[in-house]
Amino acid sequence: MTIADGPALPKLIGERVKRREDPRLIQGQATYVDDIKLPGMLHLAFKRSDIAHGVITRIDTSAAAAMDGVELVITGTELADHLGPMPIGTPFPAPDHFSVATDKVRYVGEPVAVVVAEDRYIARDAADAIEVEYDELPAVVDPEAAMEADSATLHEGFERNIAVESYWGGTGVNPETAQPEDDSAVDAAFAEADVVVSQRMLNQRLAPNAMEPRGVVAQYEPGREYLTVWSATQNPHILRTLVAAMMGLGEHQVRAVAPEVGGGFGCKINIYGEEYVAAALSRLVKAPVKWIEDRTEAFLTTTHGRDLLGYIDLAAKSDGTITGLKARIIADIGAYEVLLTAMIPTLTGLMMNGVYRLPVVRHELTEVFTNKTPTDAYRGAGRPEGLYFLERAVDMVARELDMDPAEIRRKNFVPADEFPFATQSGLVYDSGNYEPCLDKALEVADWQGLLAERDAARAEGRIVGVGLSFYVEVCGLGPSAVVPTGGWEHSGVTVERGGKVTATTGASPHGQGNETTFAQMLADHFSIPLEDITILHGDTGVVKQGIGTFGSRSQAVGGAALISAAGKAGDKMKQFAAAMMTDQEVSPEDLVFEDGRIQVEGAPEVSKTFAEVADYAYVPVPLPPGMEPGVSEEAFFEPENNTYPFGCHISMVEVDRDTGETKLLKLIAVDDCGNVINPLIVDGQVHGGLAQGIGQAMFEEVVYDEDGQPVTASFMDYVMPRAADLPVFELDRTVTPTPINPLGAKGVGEAGTIGSTPCVVNAAVDALAPFGVTHIEMPLRPERMWRIINEGEGGQS
Amino acid sequence: MEIKGEQDFNGPRELLYELLLDPDVLSAALPGVERFEEVAPETYESTMRVGIASVRGTYTGRVEVLEQSPPESYRLRIDGSGKPGGVRADATVELSENGSGTTMHYRADVKARGTIARLGGRLLGGVARLLIGQFFKSIEQQVDDRAA
Amino acid sequence: MSEPVPITINVNGRKRSAMVEPRLLLVHFLRESLNLTGTHVGCDTSQCGACTVLLDGSSAKSCTVFAVQADGSEVQTIEGLADGDELHPLQDGFWEEHGLQCGYCTPGMIMSAVNLLEENPAPSEAEIREGISGNLCRCTGYQHIVNAIQHAAERMAQS
Repeated sequence: MTIADGPALPKLIGERVKRREDPRLIQGQATYVDDIKLPGMLHLAFKRSDIAHGVITRIDTSAAAAMDGVELVITGTELADHLGPMPIGTPFPAPDHFSVATDKVRYVGEPVAVVVAEDRYIARDAADAIEVEYDELPAVVDPEAAMEADSATLHEGFERNIAVESYWGGTGVNPETAQPEDDSAVDAAFAEADVVVSQRMLNQRLAPNAMEPRGVVAQYEPGREYLTVWSATQNPHILRTLVAAMMGLGEHQVRAVAPEVGGGFGCKINIYGEEYVAAALSRLVKAPVKWIEDRTEAFLTTTHGRDLLGYIDLAAKSDGTITGLKARIIADIGAYEVLLTAMIPTLTGLMMNGVYRLPVVRHELTEVFTNKTPTDAYRGAGRPEGLYFLERAVDMVARELDMDPAEIRRKNFVPADEFPFATQSGLVYDSGNYEPCLDKALEVADWQGLLAERDAARAEGRIVGVGLSFYVEVCGLGPSAVVPTGGWEHSGVTVERGGKVTATTGASPHGQGNETTFAQMLADHFSIPLEDITILHGDTGVVKQGIGTFGSRSQAVGGAALISAAGKAGDKMKQFAAAMMTDQEVSPEDLVFEDGRIQVEGAPEVSKTFAEVADYAYVPVPLPPGMEPGVSEEAFFEPENNTYPFGCHISMVEVDRDTGETKLLKLIAVDDCGNVINPLIVDGQVHGGLAQGIGQAMFEEVVYDEDGQPVTASFMDYVMPRAADLPVFELDRTVTPTPINPLGAKGVGEAGTIGSTPCVVNAAVDALAPFGVTHIEMPLRPERMWRIINEGEGGQS
Repeated sequence: MEIKGEQDFNGPRELLYELLLDPDVLSAALPGVERFEEVAPETYESTMRVGIASVRGTYTGRVEVLEQSPPESYRLRIDGSGKPGGVRADATVELSENGSGTTMHYRADVKARGTIARLGGRLLGGVARLLIGQFFKSIEQQVDDRAA
Repeated sequence: MSEPVPITINVNGRKRSAMVEPRLLLVHFLRESLNLTGTHVGCDTSQCGACTVLLDGSSAKSCTVFAVQADGSEVQTIEGLADGDELHPLQDGFWEEHGLQCGYCTPGMIMSAVNLLEENPAPSEAEIREGISGNLCRCTGYQHIVNAIQHAAERMAQS
């Protein structure tokens, strides 16, 4: 028996713990994919289409192949012998899509040939030396025109360029038949409404722009028949599954590694052609190969986000009660369906219930192919679009009725006692308590004070507006029934000799700080110091199973798996501890973890140190009956539902009368993401989300010309938010835990992006309302704003 | 992108019209031209080097002369491509007498693709003006030589 | 391609000589030839600042400098910033204030901030935001970066 004399360990969950990832990152010692060098490594460069739509008539690779230092030049047709069409992760019908185009090109940037060379400079020179001729076809650029009978079509079998069509409405979908129950109720609601607002709104195309471009290193070892792929990806386990399938290998022959990953924001979920090509060419040339994307390639070929056109109608009574919603959505998905392309816009309609009781909803969705870069998830992925449409429309109703934007929302909230709440779209919101969140936001912002400030500024002739939005979103993706890749997460917890702990997680982070938050959770669980814990991730050779990081699922699903595995490991530790204390007749159920010890609850003198028990577990003499030596446990966690965080954002903007420039003066965000593990990291997630949501509202847009040529293909033309563009954000939170997982945590990765966009546009419309506008399209370009002020283009923006 | 402008010359418009459609004159006047051949009636093929920033490179192109109405106007259809991408232009040229000489009005609708469109777009207008300026200077010289 | 030319650059206090192609970018010289991979490439048009290093004491975007242009110069990269095991106050500030998430822009951001604090040891919030406007960060929304630089400025003022 030993007596407790170690220091009391503070509980870390809920504390502002400095990140354990940072020392390597702030000293330039982290290893991103472009930092990997293997002996004999060759470099890839892609020859890409310069035109948006056309048939390849000739490719001349002879000059490239003859260059010094060039190992191989291969065209799409030749590569098709090694790689079939790429898989997707949704159940929707999809046209064939090869890693490298074989006959037809469908967007600027689509690969047509690949060079393997000694260094990246030579590879690029050789790619430039490849000559390609095309029979050009008319470019399909406008998604509405794309559906006309006389439009050119991208894919055989997809008439009028339509990829997906869906329709539901009435008083809800009948779960038995999956059919709308009674659609006439929608028309009746609109016929009886006191006020109806109708607005066409564009949720524009965006480039995710993780600061680290994509990259891949692939090494096929012929003697072992084993492939290792390092990639800047959000989900190495999905990468392993898909690369193995494309290469005709088993998953036991592939190791996928996400090293340090420099941001993802959804665009590193997809498994890209370049990853398959690198794997196939490494096998072909019998050497490791590397490909690193440059920024212009990223603009052309990394998936874009958003690009939804909405025709939105909202009906209400004169007292502000919302009585019905109609949404007709056209999604411009670009030239192909990639991993989750077709699924993303379906989330828009699902989430358009927002935080309100909506008696009737009609929702139509059409996804359309155009000659543009394929779309996929971008931070928020479907929810920002839906909440933008809804929160703009609710604001328009408030303006029409001269109601306070906060009060119209309060009037229509789902009440706190109605959770779990089933929406018109068939979702079940887990938990919610919207009114305290609204009240807190109004208080933090000093809403009445803001309105007075605005009015005073207007009296001085300044153009100032305030805006508010209230969002709910869906996090913690799963469950498996709705995520085609599987919606669970996996974790392993090993107590090492000496009492240190190594844990693995399939939630592969790329900036989220899981190494810190997960260690906080284990430190509290085992009551051991943070320094005694290592979290491993991102390597399928180390982390046995996993799905990945997207849909704000790390904590809600990955964290729950971690706690489950830790529970199993802890049980075993207690059994070994009890075995060590048989003379004191200790039962495992009596034991707790306390300050580095395993002790009888309330009796620290009856205890063993965590380290002693760990040592005993690996040399268990005697071995307790029915037990195996060692402590290494794992768990899968399958969530039974999603989580539904929510929040209220408030902003104030000023528009310069002479230049049309919009300045964001204030942004207040009160978010409710359930229980918080590390407030420092949660604030960081909200800040980053806000900046991206504001970026969409004010600055960012991918633009194509009428020939399908992208004209925003560098940071010179695509406007990213910079430090001086943003105000000091004022943050606060309410806490409504979820019952879905043992942590009560809902997820926070995308919240900021969802609330801020409509909030800022609502403020801009408020600012320019005196000039007669009721809606302004994003981004709030100075020219657009200036025209409204100076040319009276009210409502015509 | 639209490029338009006007330029005064000293000579009569008949002379200018003739010079502007003479392959030898054009070959000498266009900056960086390495080859300028008539491959079919009113159709020329040319190789041209441009040495400016991101539109640097060798371009091969085809020029068709359409809707000739001497000495007043004609239309050009130009299609050129090189490593940095390609340019397609539809241009109209009108010549009018201005008392002391001839004024040329030109207007071109230019469409670019490839690197030129993506990165060179911002430079294209400036490059075009530079090349057009050099071209006019050369034509002016030839007009003066012939008129003298 | 042109013939390699000899260059000598003092990198983080160490003289480094090499034969390089005239078209080799400084960032590739640092990363590929010297294995100093802390300096990152985030764009190719000098807009993002991920590749920022100090060139003769001033911040420079090493993706738009040829290695030959830096011949005879002194270059400091993120790897040369800490004093042995002791972090530079800016590195410490970024850690303390959660001034980074994915970390990709961080080395360039810190090197820009070094230059900023040398020119203006007590910058206001607005001056910091202006001072780092040549560097893009997609993760943080910049607020914690501003806090980190303020944190460092205060610490440097004390010492």
